[in-house]
Order: sequence, then structure tokens, then C-alpha cells
Amino acid sequence: MTAEPVPLRPVRPRWRETLGLLVRNKVALGAALVLLAIIVVAVFDRAFAPQSANAQDIADRLQAPSWSHPFGTDNLGRDILSRVIIGASVSLKVGFLSVGLALVVGTLLGLLAGYYGGWVDDVLMRLMDMLFAFPAVLLAIAILAIRGPGTSNTIIAIAVVYVPIFARVTRASVLGVREEVYVRASRSVGASDFRLLTRHVLPNAAPPIIVQTSVSLAFAVLAEAALSFLGLGTQPPNPSWGLMLAEGREFIGLAWWLAFFPGMAIVVTVLCFNLLGDGLRDVLDPRQRTLMAGGGR
Amino acid sequence: MRAYRPLALAAAGGLLLTACGGGDSVDTGGGGGGGGDNVLVAAVSAQPDQFDPHVTSAYPSFQVLENVYDTLVVPNAEDLTMEASLAESWETSEDGLTWTFALREGVTFHDGSEFDSADVVYSYNRIIDEELANSYRFANVTAVEADGPQSVVIRVSQPTPNLLSLIGAFKGMAILPEGAAEDLDLTTEANGTGPFQLESSDASSTVLTAYEDYWGGAPAIDGVEYRYITEPAAALTALENGEVQWTDNVPPQQVESLGENEDVELASTPSVDYWYMSMNYAREPFGNPQVRRAIATAIDREEVTEAARFEAARANQTAIPEDSFFYSDYAPFDADEDAARQLMEESGVTTPLTMGLMVTDEFPESVTAAQVIASQLEAIGITVEVEVLDFATWLDRQDQGDFDAFMLSWLGNIDPADFYEAQHITDGSSNYQGYSNPEVDRLLTEASTETDQDARKQLYDQAAKLIVDDVSYLYLYNPDVVQAWVPGLEGYRIRADRAINFEEVELP
Repeated sequence: MTAEPVPLRPVRPRWRETLGLLVRNKVALGAALVLLAIIVVAVFDRAFAPQSANAQDIADRLQAPSWSHPFGTDNLGRDILSRVIIGASVSLKVGFLSVGLALVVGTLLGLLAGYYGGWVDDVLMRLMDMLFAFPAVLLAIAILAIRGPGTSNTIIAIAVVYVPIFARVTRASVLGVREEVYVRASRSVGASDFRLLTRHVLPNAAPPIIVQTSVSLAFAVLAEAALSFLGLGTQPPNPSWGLMLAEGREFIGLAWWLAFFPGMAIVVTVLCFNLLGDGLRDVLDPRQRTLMAGGGR
Repeated sequence: MRAYRPLALAAAGGLLLTACGGGDSVDTGGGGGGGGDNVLVAAVSAQPDQFDPHVTSAYPSFQVLENVYDTLVVPNAEDLTMEASLAESWETSEDGLTWTFALREGVTFHDGSEFDSADVVYSYNRIIDEELANSYRFANVTAVEADGPQSVVIRVSQPTPNLLSLIGAFKGMAILPEGAAEDLDLTTEANGTGPFQLESSDASSTVLTAYEDYWGGAPAIDGVEYRYITEPAAALTALENGEVQWTDNVPPQQVESLGENEDVELASTPSVDYWYMSMNYAREPFGNPQVRRAIATAIDREEVTEAARFEAARANQTAIPEDSFFYSDYAPFDADEDAARQLMEESGVTTPLTMGLMVTDEFPESVTAAQVIASQLEAIGITVEVEVLDFATWLDRQDQGDFDAFMLSWLGNIDPADFYEAQHITDGSSNYQGYSNPEVDRLLTEASTETDQDARKQLYDQAAKLIVDDVSYLYLYNPDVVQAWVPGLEGYRIRADRAINFEEVELP
């Protein structure tokens, strides 16, 4: 993989090939574009939101969707469109940070367990099995019950829940890669463990981890919504889709828009992450990839 | 009575429902299940935590116990003055230190045994000796003695003008048969003298059956089934479908639209409850009276009330509601942002500062109100961090004094002493904020032994004025009691103290 004089690599770098294949998958491309739009809106939330998320106007409450309030107003007269937009940054922040944290920790643990095997493997993976034994949301609730509600604790709680998944996926992938000829060859010329892991094992074990990341993002957004719905995540008056859903539930008979729009936001975001994950799985799977690339060898 | 306590349970139930996708909410016993057509089905929001009237402080328990047990005297449904119940008449000695109660004859407990003075002595001594939740109500009582089977003497250490409301305000002072705590498991069983007997109770409903030998005459209905329906929307639908005939689980925002609904009879009345905010004197800068007054001035109570309760409440700057004899017409704060900002400046405290405001999801209206307060205090440089906790954690942190500020309500108080004493007297049992004003202590102590009603009111008025000025509690509003039932249901009366009595109810 690292030979200098003769270019053993394909002319096109692998990531560009992957991207090319992904673009050909219309559904995944659409999902990616929608997600991109959501991310842009979330990053520039204050610029997109017509009002401040917490600006109240009791006299103007429970107004149905109209030109001045496209998504209507809630029970305190706050603009729901603004809250959905600013809620997007909360949901995505929690999603990316928690999955990022789980990704780093889980991948590291899986890498060590898979590469070294033996007692390291036993200790780490039994620990992961223990965490896995808890239903995901229950474990997150337990962590929040101990640490107290709030956004940063939500990130930690969701991260802890997803560490074992990443550890398992990485370990399984590493087990397959570590006995490959190129790894053994590299080891035989005296490459250090660190070099082996970072240059050979990890890059080749990466595809399933990437797919897992996309799918986990969907779950993380959902988990944040669930925890906020239960009052353990984002605290009022700050907006979060799950919290808005919980607040809107009380008014569902009077004003459907309170719960409908944040609900839709959750559905669209989670759906897009899942579709993107599906697309990534297709293009990253070596067998499927060959088929899609039209090689058919 | 403290705001309902067992609601941690209700929260767990809600959580389960969510986890199961809500499908379980159908499991309320099915239509008409309860036995017989002449059974009233009432939808309540939560399951009773237990049935020991002397121990529980939970409102859902008292919704049931109200119909099972009796007290010596009871509040009149109209104006909450005390009238005869198990005691037919009473007299006070010249010095005000001896009360003699003549007991009603021919009263039997549900197991058929006769009621007499020994039962009263047993019940009261149980509360006093075991130091149960309501023992503070006997603080002045030195002895409870039987004087023959039909007469009970209560001796007090000083004149106690409010003794009747102390022993009769609610079923927490119920009369149990002698030895009940030893003979029965009172947490799940009951043996009272009331119009209904406890038949069964499980995770979906509690069933009462009429007691034919009730001293006030057998009830017109055969029984009552309390079904727990946590979601107000589900309770209302059940009422509209005729699955239940009565509910108190009516969200305030629905009051207006329900008024026009012909399938539902809606009633509301001002209650004796109040919502308040309290700040921790031990945490700077909230120990500074100037800061507290600035906060009290910045808060627009009308707006908070409107947001939290729609039309179903009245803003109030003192505790006691307007309809009461003891109402004190004192409202020094007028929701003035500029004045509040100036008070903040004069206090010398630097802004912006942060204030944690502890509320509980048990009472969604407190979460709503807290958000409005947060937005109002933002204007004077106070960033309010709303902390929504489950009720168990909330109570725990209140006990430990681990808060900047909190919001809660008091329910069902009748006598002014209940409104002010435990909450504001130095080291009072509910004085979590740490308020101490010797003048208030003096006034409250004096008022509790004053036998002349007008003089007593004067004393409480003066105490209330100081409490409001010092912002020991920041009073917000008195909510209305809102209940709904099917048209044609007769004999039910909605009451300001939230007692729910089905004794005279007739089904349509």
C-alpha cells in the first residue's frame, strides 16, 4: 500500500471512487443533500431563524401556521419555525458529538482488542458485553439520572451507549484484516505496532465503521429526542425537537402544529441518516462495489 | 396537605407508556368493567400510593379515602366552615383549654363493629405517638381522653381557636377502629365509617362499594371505580365516550372549548391552593432582600398565570384566595421592569447573575410558568436556568437546601395557620427557604391562640404583609379546581378544597 516507486494504487484515490459510486445512488445522494441542507441550517441557525427561539408573546400564543409564523406559535407564543431551526443545531450537535466520542473510544478499544487478542481482548470485550446487556435508552436514562439532566450529559450518555457497538464492529473488522498478507508482510519487515495499526489495519477495517457511524447518527438524533421528551435531555426553555414534541403533546387536541413540525423534523433527519447509511453500506461492501463499478470480474 | 407526593410513580407509568408506544393506555379495564350499571366510573390522573390516611400525603390517595373514612368534623362543601360529622356537637371550656365532643350514636365501621370514643382516642394517639405526618396538628394538644363511650375530651396547652379545622380539614385526621394498625395492613386495607368501603385496588383501578349501613344513609350508587388515566386528553375522550362519568383530569387550556361541548358538564371554582416561588436565603445573592424584591417586581404575575393556567386561575400576591374571610388585600408589586432594574442596581449586586429554578415535570404548569419567569427575569439581568426534575429528586434537593429557587404549590389548606405557620415561622417544618423574622414569628404565634376571628384576621394580615414584603414566598396565583362530568349526574358538588365526595351522587 505504501510502496513509492511503482504506483500500486488505483489512479483514482479510493475515497473519490467511493464518492463517485455514492453519487450514482440517487436515494443516498438525495438523503445526503437533504442532510447537508439541514447541517447548513443548523450551523447558521441564528441567521435562518426568523425570531429568537425563546422570545415569548403570550397574547400571540397557539396561532395556527400563517405567513408571519409559517409553523405557527406554541403555548407561550414562541415561533415554532425558529424553534425547529434552533432545535436542529441542538439535535445535530448532540448527534455528532456523541457519535464522534463513541467512534473514537469504541474504535480504539475495538482496534486494541482485535489486534492484540488474548487477555486484552477478553477484558475489553467482556466489558463491552456488559454495557451491551442494557437496553440502549435505559442505560442512557440511568446515566442521566446519575449525572443530572442537561445537554452535555446527554452527549456523554449517548456516547457511552454507542461505544460497545463501535468496539464490536471494529474488532470484527480488524480480526479479518490483521492476518492479511500485506499486514504480515509489513510486520515481517519490522514495522511498529503503531504504524501497522494506523497505516494498514485501520484503513482497511474502516468501511463497516463508516457505515456504523451513519446509522448511529440516526439513532443518536432519535435518542436525544427521546431523552428530551422524557425531560432528561435539553432543558426548557431551550428548544429541542424531543422537548417540543413533549410540550406539544399536551395541546395536541387544540393545536396540532405544536407537535407536528418538530416530529417531522425528527422523521426527516433520521430517515436521511438511515438512507445515507444504506447507500454507504452498498458502495463500501467490496462485493457490491465491484458489481456497481460495472467490473463484474 | 403538601402537593401530591407519589407522582414519581405516575412519571414511571408515563415512561412505560412511551416505551410501549402508548398502546397500553387502552388497558384501563375496558368499557363498563366495574360491575353493575349503577357504578360511577371516575377518571383520576394517578394511582393512590397507599390507603393509610394517617401516613399518606398523596392527593390521589385522599381522592379515595375521602369516601371511605370520616373525621370528627368536616368542612362544609360551600364555605369550608367546620360542621358535625362523627361528632354531633362540641363545647369549649371557659378558659379555652378543654374541648368536649359528643359523638354520634349508631355509627358502625365497615366490618360491623360499633364506633365509640375509644376509636377516637386510639386514632389521635396513633398520630401523636408515632409522630406521623400530621402530628404537628396536635402540637397544642396535651391529652385526648374518653369520657364514657360517647364523649371525647381534648385538652390543649393554650387556647386553640382553629382546633376544629386542625382535626377535620381532611381525611388525614380520619378515625380508625381501635387497633386497626395492628389488625389490618392499612396500606392496602381500610375499615372506616364512610359511605363507601374499599373493595379492591390494583395497577389500573381502585373499586369502592356502597356501605349499606352508613350512618348518613346508604349512597344512591352501588359503588365507585377510580380509573387512572394519566393523559388528560385520554381522560376527556373517555368522558365524552361515556366510558367514565367524572374526571378531574382536565387541562386548563381545554376549559374554554369544553364549555361549549354538550356531552360534558364542566365546573370550576376558585380553590384554596396556591402556587409560589421560593428563594434560598443561604445562597447569595438571594439572601439579599433587595434582590428578592427586584425579582418580585420584575415578575408579571398576570402573564405567568395566563400562560400556565389560561383562564383557570387568579393572580395573587398573598397566599389566601380572594373568597376567603382571611384574604388580605395586599399587592405591593406592580410588574415594573424599570423599577425592578433600579432595585437591582441599588442592591449593589452585579448582573448578569444566574439563578437555578427547580421545577418538577409532575406538574407541567410549573415548567410552563418557570419559562415565563425566566423570560421576565432576563430583562433585569438574571439568567434563569430552569431545572426540570422528577418529583422524588426535587423533594430530596428541597430537603437538603440544594437549590437557588424553586416553584411548587400548597393544596387544600383551610385555616390561615396552615397557610403561613409551617412555611414562614423561624425553623418551621416547611421553611426550606430559611426565612426568619422575629416580628412574623410573634404575629403568627399570637394569631394561633387568638380566639376572636376579627382580631385573628388582623394578626394574619400583618404577618402576610411582612412575608410578602420580605419575599419569603413569592406568591403567584390561586388555581381554579376544574372538574367535568356527564350531563345528568346529580348530587355532586365541586369544592374549593379539592375534596371529592361521591356520597350523594346519582347517575343519570
